[in-house]
Amino acid sequence: MPIEITMPRLSDTMEVGTILSWHVHAGDVVVAGDLLADIETDKATMELQSFDDGTIEKLIVEEGQQVSVGTIIATILEEDEVSSDSSPESVPKPEQTTEPTQQSLEQRSAHTDSPRVSPIARRLAEEHGLDLQTIQGTGPSGRIIKRDVLQIVDTTSETTSAANTTKEAPSSAVVAGSSSSLPMQPLAPVSPWQQDRTVPLSNIRQVIAKKLVESKQTIPHYQVTMTFDMDPLLEMRKTLNEQLVSSGVKLSVNDFLVRCCALSMSTHPEFNASFGGDCILYHGPVNVGIAIALPEDRGGGLVVGTIRNADQKSLRTISQESIYLSKKARETGLSIDEMGDTTFTISNLGMFGVDNFTAIINPPNSAILAVGAAEEKPVVRDGNIAVGHEMSATLSLDHRVIDGAMAAMYLSALKELIENPASLLV
Amino acid sequence: MSTVTPERVIEYREALREAMSEEMRKDNRVFLIGEEVAQYNGAYKVSKGMLDEFGPRRVIDTPISESGFSGMSIGAAMRGLRPIVEFMSWSFSLVATDQILNNAPKMLYMSGGQFGCPIVFRGNDGAGGQLASTHSWSVESMYSNIPGLKMAIPYDAYDAKGLLKTAIQDDNPVFFLESERLLSTTGHVPEEEYTIPFGKALIRRNGADCTIISFGRPLHFCLEAAEELAKEGIDCEIIDGRTIVPLDIDTMVDSVRKTNACVVVDQSWSFASIGSEIASQIHAICFEDLDNFVHRVHSDDVPVPYAHNLEQAYLPNTRKICEAVRSATYNA
Repeated sequence: MPIEITMPRLSDTMEVGTILSWHVHAGDVVVAGDLLADIETDKATMELQSFDDGTIEKLIVEEGQQVSVGTIIATILEEDEVSSDSSPESVPKPEQTTEPTQQSLEQRSAHTDSPRVSPIARRLAEEHGLDLQTIQGTGPSGRIIKRDVLQIVDTTSETTSAANTTKEAPSSAVVAGSSSSLPMQPLAPVSPWQQDRTVPLSNIRQVIAKKLVESKQTIPHYQVTMTFDMDPLLEMRKTLNEQLVSSGVKLSVNDFLVRCCALSMSTHPEFNASFGGDCILYHGPVNVGIAIALPEDRGGGLVVGTIRNADQKSLRTISQESIYLSKKARETGLSIDEMGDTTFTISNLGMFGVDNFTAIINPPNSAILAVGAAEEKPVVRDGNIAVGHEMSATLSLDHRVIDGAMAAMYLSALKELIENPASLLV
Repeated sequence: MSTVTPERVIEYREALREAMSEEMRKDNRVFLIGEEVAQYNGAYKVSKGMLDEFGPRRVIDTPISESGFSGMSIGAAMRGLRPIVEFMSWSFSLVATDQILNNAPKMLYMSGGQFGCPIVFRGNDGAGGQLASTHSWSVESMYSNIPGLKMAIPYDAYDAKGLLKTAIQDDNPVFFLESERLLSTTGHVPEEEYTIPFGKALIRRNGADCTIISFGRPLHFCLEAAEELAKEGIDCEIIDGRTIVPLDIDTMVDSVRKTNACVVVDQSWSFASIGSEIASQIHAICFEDLDNFVHRVHSDDVPVPYAHNLEQAYLPNTRKICEAVRSATYNA
């Protein structure tokens, strides 16, 4: 019997996975540990390795195809095993006939390139801009039917329809009011590019939608804001970057903040904790997450990359890891290791010139720091007005774990570090 | 129908009689001919009292000779009269096929327009009365294959009267297929004169999930099936085609474009039938609108059984229709 390779469950929430690319072909000899495929889950791109030695018999699921966890995606023949599909004459079996069985016909047709799809389902998918390859058919032989398409359209339109109703309500009221006296003016025709359109949710956006609604609905959020004098830190950053330019190091403001937050977390353990229902879970390692926006051409969205044990890492290491995570997230996607286990998150929109904003907590974190831009502005120094750099940052907190006074103390500790950055070097 | 008399309910057979009598009063070229139509008041009492009103010159009893009285009536039609020929059963028309298929529908064409044939052939069609194989014919698929004729199949009393009056007024041969199983059913028929045009289907039930198309008596099973399917959450739209020639494919197409699923219920055998014809047209016209192929429900492909239980199982019954709709809508 060939060994069946199934779509693995690569995360707790994973229900389906997409084969991004195969690294083997039918007939290839593989040993345990060989890379078989890249699999995109709801969260990340992961590598699938072989657990067995043998020869790839066939690849059942094609690149780009999404299948449920547990679906057989390939088969491997063990040593000396002969493919059941080939050379029946060498292993003559009396019950085998040359007539194709019903089952083999069904298998063959299930492997054709394009999915089976009913005419109306094809038309509806086109109208709503859905990719048939991404739709799981529930009709006979996996045929995609109207119901399958409408289910996707319904779930995606539920969110947009709420927005539409508020938009349309006032205009219909105006029409109703004017109809009594004035002749009705036909509305200007809407150009095709102005019309509403529906775009199905990418995997990552589905996760964002689910996780953040859950966060905002279950966590009692509140915010505390503080302004920081950034002159000392910016000055030190300038000096360090000038000195390190030859070694290719370029520290960002965010790298400093990661270290500041991490050091403050180690002295304020409730900021390195999670709400556990009937307990508070204090984490050992201090893992700071950094929010990374993904490019629009890759479907947009954001992920949180993990800088592990950030309190024990130098600015240089933090910088290197941060650059690596951002690049990998944008180009190929992060692995579970590179994005899991955060205990605190920093979301920085300073580079876009944002003054300040509030962020939604990234569960199971208890806090997230929303960072604005370090801006040049009039500041008061020793009773005089001077020109300096200030930065506003807002903590969103889970009140079940952290109270207001604790938040204030944490921010004070953060302020102490940011405004006296020399201590970051030791 | 602007001023409709409320709730005048009559039998299907009375509605047929009213249609014939009204047209005979208006036009003395119209006459009724057939076995037992006069002195016996009709084998199924459709022509009850007509001999008394119109006399033996216009309500004419014949010998048991379908070929003879059909041919004679076709001759009368060619010479300007407007006969109504009653077949006790359309099963008996088979002995007159040379007249009704080879002469009547081709007369206008073959005479180069010199002779028309304004004639109505009417009688009971279909199985269900334990009349066994030879007397239980459903002739609609076989006869509607012939160019030059029209064919109507009324389901209720209202349609029986309205369609028969249109048939009598039509200048072409009209094959009018009634049902022995429906003769005693009652329905609302207004006092006021009305006709129902040919080629206008009627939506007998509105629904969103599946279009069921049928004609005549099987509509009864369709309506029953729709009630059962509604309990399962499948909302059927039922279209009564009313006339097979001309066929109101437009109404059927509009409905299928809405429901994206279609079942045709036809009491004839499936091969080269009305069901296959409508399915073919729906596939061709609204291919892009279909979520599944058009499903068909027919009588089983055997001679009509005599035994009651076998005959009921043979018909395009409620169970078969439910199964077809479930399959067509992927609810099987």
